[in-house]
Amino acid sequence: MKILVAVKRVVDYNVKVRVKSDGSDVDIANVKMSMNPFDEIAVEEAIRLQEAGIATEIILVSLGVKACQDILRTGLAMGGDRAILVETDEEIQPLSAAKLLKAVVEKEQPKMVILGKQAIDDDANQTGQMLAALLGWGQATFASKVTVAGEQATVIREIDGGLETIAVKLPVVVTADLRLNEPRYVKLPNIMKAKKKPLDVLTPADLGVNLTKNLVTLKVQEPPVRKAGVKVADVQSLVDKLKNEAKVI
Amino acid sequence: MRVLVVAEHDNQSLKAGVLNTIQAARKIASEVVVLVAGHEASSVAQAAAQVEGVSKVLHADAAQYAHALAENIANLVLSIAKEYTHILTPASTFGKNFLPRVAALLDVAQVSDVIQVVDADTFVRPIYAGNVLATVKATDAIKVLTIRTTGFDPVAATGGSAAIESLAAQADSGLASFVEQTLTKSSRPELGAAKIIVSGGRGMGSSENFAILEALADKLGAAIGASRAAVDAGYVPNDYQVGQTGKIVAPQLYIAVGISGAIQHLAGMKDSKVIVAINKDEEAPIFQVADYGLVADLFTAVPELTQALS
Amino acid sequence: MSYHAPTQDMLFVINELAGLSELNAFEEYAEITPDVVESILEEAGKFATDILDPINHSGDKEGNQFANNAVTTATGFKEAYAQFAEAGWTGVASSPDYGGQGLPSLVSTAVAEIWKSANMAFSLCPMLTQGAIEALMHHCSDESIRSVYLPKMIEGTWTGTMNLTEPSAGSDLSAVRSKAVPEGDHYRLYGQKIFITWGEHDVAENIIHLVLARLPDAPEGVKGISLFVVPKFLVNADGSLGARNDAYCVSIEHKLGINASPTAVIAFGDNEGALGYMVGEPNQGLKYMFTMMNHARLAVGLEGVAISERAYQRALAYAKDRIQGVEIGSRTGQKVAIIKHPDVRRMLLTMKSVTEATRAVAYYGAALLDKAGHEPDDAVRAEAQSQVDLLIPVVKGWCTEMGVELTSLGIQVHGGMGYIEETGAAQHFRDARIATIYEGTTGIQANDLVGRKVGLDKGVAAQALFVKIKATLADLETVHGDDFAVIRQGLSTGLEALTTATAWIVQQYAEKNPQAANASSVAYLRLFGYVVGGWQMARAAFIAQQKLQQSSGNHAFFEAKIISTRFYADYMLSQAAGLSHAVTQGSVAILAMSDELF
Repeated sequence: MKILVAVKRVVDYNVKVRVKSDGSDVDIANVKMSMNPFDEIAVEEAIRLQEAGIATEIILVSLGVKACQDILRTGLAMGGDRAILVETDEEIQPLSAAKLLKAVVEKEQPKMVILGKQAIDDDANQTGQMLAALLGWGQATFASKVTVAGEQATVIREIDGGLETIAVKLPVVVTADLRLNEPRYVKLPNIMKAKKKPLDVLTPADLGVNLTKNLVTLKVQEPPVRKAGVKVADVQSLVDKLKNEAKVI
Repeated sequence: MRVLVVAEHDNQSLKAGVLNTIQAARKIASEVVVLVAGHEASSVAQAAAQVEGVSKVLHADAAQYAHALAENIANLVLSIAKEYTHILTPASTFGKNFLPRVAALLDVAQVSDVIQVVDADTFVRPIYAGNVLATVKATDAIKVLTIRTTGFDPVAATGGSAAIESLAAQADSGLASFVEQTLTKSSRPELGAAKIIVSGGRGMGSSENFAILEALADKLGAAIGASRAAVDAGYVPNDYQVGQTGKIVAPQLYIAVGISGAIQHLAGMKDSKVIVAINKDEEAPIFQVADYGLVADLFTAVPELTQALS
Repeated sequence: MSYHAPTQDMLFVINELAGLSELNAFEEYAEITPDVVESILEEAGKFATDILDPINHSGDKEGNQFANNAVTTATGFKEAYAQFAEAGWTGVASSPDYGGQGLPSLVSTAVAEIWKSANMAFSLCPMLTQGAIEALMHHCSDESIRSVYLPKMIEGTWTGTMNLTEPSAGSDLSAVRSKAVPEGDHYRLYGQKIFITWGEHDVAENIIHLVLARLPDAPEGVKGISLFVVPKFLVNADGSLGARNDAYCVSIEHKLGINASPTAVIAFGDNEGALGYMVGEPNQGLKYMFTMMNHARLAVGLEGVAISERAYQRALAYAKDRIQGVEIGSRTGQKVAIIKHPDVRRMLLTMKSVTEATRAVAYYGAALLDKAGHEPDDAVRAEAQSQVDLLIPVVKGWCTEMGVELTSLGIQVHGGMGYIEETGAAQHFRDARIATIYEGTTGIQANDLVGRKVGLDKGVAAQALFVKIKATLADLETVHGDDFAVIRQGLSTGLEALTTATAWIVQQYAEKNPQAANASSVAYLRLFGYVVGGWQMARAAFIAQQKLQQSSGNHAFFEAKIISTRFYADYMLSQAAGLSHAVTQGSVAILAMSDELF
């Protein structure tokens, strides 16, 4: 079966982002960008399913600016077979992302779509679920283990307080949680091979999708900075402070 | 304006976060309807009816709602969604799972992890793991929100007397089925809901050494967390991880033990009401966010603290 | 604070200063385009940060354990090496015919800088293996040896070593005494080799020693040394491992730095004789070493760049973090991070600008190596070869000397905490210290520079370089503004000083006075380094200025590059005149002081 993996280009997780001085947005000019870490896990899972003989082809999709090709190449070097960039300079909100991905899914007809559970920039945690709903598919979010047998996927999900196992019919949308796997390091020879793998570029118009902005960001700000408190001399004074000053125990 | 709050529960009792979500709902409108979708969950519906400020409880009871499968819950909510201006649910794995489906099928945006209601269509939510707060305006007719429960105080669980109406179930989607659930067996509260968290870092040195944190946590009725360094070192399982890629917590009291305070960790706990840091390195960045810092060897300080609380 | 590869500066140097596009004109490098290089460096950086950096400090503290002729490496090194090989990084520079990636030196140099920064002790293992691979690749014509050894070494299953030094043959290899006795189609080797980097370890299943030794009938001195390949485990015809060879590690050294790198004493032939095969022709061993010298010296020079970069990142993070004192001139009384103190900024900027300069010179040299190997036009190729021959002792000598100075500054930025091992700053200083010594000390580099590269060449290659520097000076005249006036003035004065000093060196050789030239050689090498570094910085600033005008790329990076260059001009190029004085005048006292007067 074909697997489609959606990958997002985000500010690298090591970068501490700063708010633009006018408070209009986060300043991401010239900061290091990388593949969303949860999407890396999604790519790795698809590769493992391919290595297990379940997936036949892995198609990577990214939505956004031209530079998203970089992360698609990274995904191809990890083991993706080909890539599609839906290129636009416009902001893509989760609902629009789901609509674009739905159009790609209808074109490519995969049996499974894997995405990260959320992107570490807007932390929305919506696109996979929205995509599943728009396609009328079942979903398995926050996956920590995926097994496929016949026309069904059995997925262990990370839920608050533990794990849940569900069985979902194919085709299905899976969103990857942190523990699903540990993404491999790209092998040097595969970086060179990735350059020769096909990478198609489409536009939202090619897919017949209108990008909408149902959410308007009015302002962004840094959260109030926590001030360092006091150093206490010993355990006894710590207990005293917690009991009588902070009143939390 | 009418707000629908989709309740999280285990067919026996309401999850605590529902009370915080109702608080958020009340900041939007006075008419708050709570939907309890479950199986043999009438005790939950009754509990919801007693919650302060609830106008009405809708109760859908059917086998297909026993395990809160996203497809089925979303379809049920969709069947009544158009009657509401706002649809809210806690930003837990329950809420995050199904609510985006509702938004997508209504062709509206969802606002995730709301920590503040500015007005009926403007909300504050954290992005970049809480390093930035965005104020966003939802322009759709129906606002779909998940509520980060740490941002709102809970309403009282009693004092209300809302009517309970039953709501017709929708057909099982047939797309997914529940197989099993393994909840971490612990007498301690779960990380996301705990009032007190005791967290260990690389400074713990080993898996065995976490025992001294467990003793302290038991004394305080606290949950146990860990930094990514401690998880990566294999001291504790990944679901202990507090931080940017782990769980985001905001308890009343967060005790960081042997944690240096990497940015990724701070992102997950800096909204805690009171932070205590115990670390032998007085330069550790954790002290810059701690309300109370104790520069000490954790292997003597923690048992001493446990003792002092006896 | 973990190490992060400075890929932005690396890519800038590769693309803009070293001229990757010129290498893309060669057929075998056509596909190594900027986007591919960026991917390679990003992935190498990720690997370095995640895998190699975390075991740098712990490896230094723990060191290696030696017992029963075997070395147990520090915790995590075995696993890290397995991942390193698995990811294909052992084959970066090697021939695709044997499974390598065949990347140009320019790119493998940048990749190597990342390993050396993340974990210098670890990086020596693949570096030495690469040396052994090159020795076999270029000098062994026996396909039965090539086809058995090269693929295994390139894929990283086996590692390699270079066995040159003996107790009485250090810098002077003509004194090598180990012997090789013919026995059928092979040889039996006898003798003791010391300072064998990664000579014994547990990270790979076999170790392939390249060994210098004398045949029984060999002439005395440099002309009687041959090169042999001696595996730790003998290799069967099908490539599987056979019996343990008679080449045993008998001890490992206790060192100042690079503690996680096992430095072995190896005894060959204590029992039946170590079985080995000759590489190439008899008595050509030193000549073979000589042909590999440019690559080897570049690789060590790079250690100066890499360790400085690491020390800078560490010091910068500390300076931003450490709150101490109030800002001078401020009346708020508020305590500030020490980066606010001007002298701390001076130290950080010294580290930053000189590291950038050394990187630019090293990468420029690497690109010259590629051109010298691949230029189709004979004249152009010869010109590249003479330029690389001139620059290699500068890269090796100057970059590593700067490494020692900058890592020392790194400690200074930390204050008392820098003297404490815990911060890691002290380790950088200790690790950096070896690089000015092995692969030819600074003195040997400097003597090579003033002797074969300048004096005997009558300054021809140097003059060709000066022509290029003058072209940059002409470019700089087209840019207005205070910064560029300072940069132009600095480079111009620097070139003048270097020209004067060069003429003096050439004159000493013409007048058969090499003693004076050697006395001044290290001062000359330092002068050469500062000026060539200043030249590359000036080129960088000029290009940065153009990019700013075109509004392309990262503004902050380009602005910083111009300021960094201006600082370099004021602080480093200004030393050129003094160094020129030392070169032309300083030998008098050195030669006047007799042994007895010391």
